[in-house]
Amino acid sequence: MKESLLEILCCPLDKHDLELEDAEYDDDGDEIVSGTLVCTECGERYPIEDGIPNLLPPDMREGTPA
Amino acid sequence: MGILENKTRARVFYKYLSTVYDRINPFIWNEEMRADALSLLDFPDPEEAMVLDVGCGTGFGTAGLLEHVDTVYALDQSEHQLEKAYAKFGKRGPVAFHRGDAERLPFATDTFDVVWSSGSIEYWPDPVRTLREFRRVLKPGGQVLVVGPTNPENTITQKLADAIMLFYDEYEADRMFKTAGFEDVKHTFMGPSYSPDVAITTIGRAPE
Repeated sequence: MKESLLEILCCPLDKHDLELEDAEYDDDGDEIVSGTLVCTECGERYPIEDGIPNLLPPDMREGTPA
Repeated sequence: MGILENKTRARVFYKYLSTVYDRINPFIWNEEMRADALSLLDFPDPEEAMVLDVGCGTGFGTAGLLEHVDTVYALDQSEHQLEKAYAKFGKRGPVAFHRGDAERLPFATDTFDVVWSSGSIEYWPDPVRTLREFRRVLKPGGQVLVVGPTNPENTITQKLADAIMLFYDEYEADRMFKTAGFEDVKHTFMGPSYSPDVAITTIGRAPE
């Protein structure tokens, strides 16, 4: 994902801003390939996996008991 | 209430459906119907347009949107469906992909000119709540377009359909979109020649 995407992303739970942590960029430096998006309000953490932000609420992620 | 209105079941269902989805899909939702639906929208300048495809799945609707705009923001809950879309468009191409929940969108208020969703509403647990989320992320005056199934009688899923999906008519669609706060709500029936009203397309606008 592009870093500029942060301007329109928010926490799916409380709609507050997200902060980027532990970002790794591709060779050109214009795409984030991994990192974590952290909600500035509730602290929920959303991983960036191979450049795709996983913004599923925690109850819908893989491995979550039904 | 269908069994897919439980999201865990929806996830498992899609894991298996994604292996055959593009083969099933043309029977109920083809390129001609997609073109008809796209013609109902007013797209801004292709370079600047902010367009979101909710429940993009394997990317059939996304491909149509890319005929009108340079970039599409796309969201789906299912990694297995998205894998097919990645194969079509690449992970770092004209589509900005996100995994997420239609009912709890991870996008800021007043962001998009157009929110599109085809073949997704039938799996939403609470359609009005999801449509309210669409209205929230639309700019004032922005357009929503949702394609969903009407009557299962003429689809290949006819036996299962009623048990697992939401079906609705134009009265129900009208109620849902107006309750969610949309204005200028209009409905069009679409389908292949042998079944011309298999899909209902609803458009509306977020209030100015």
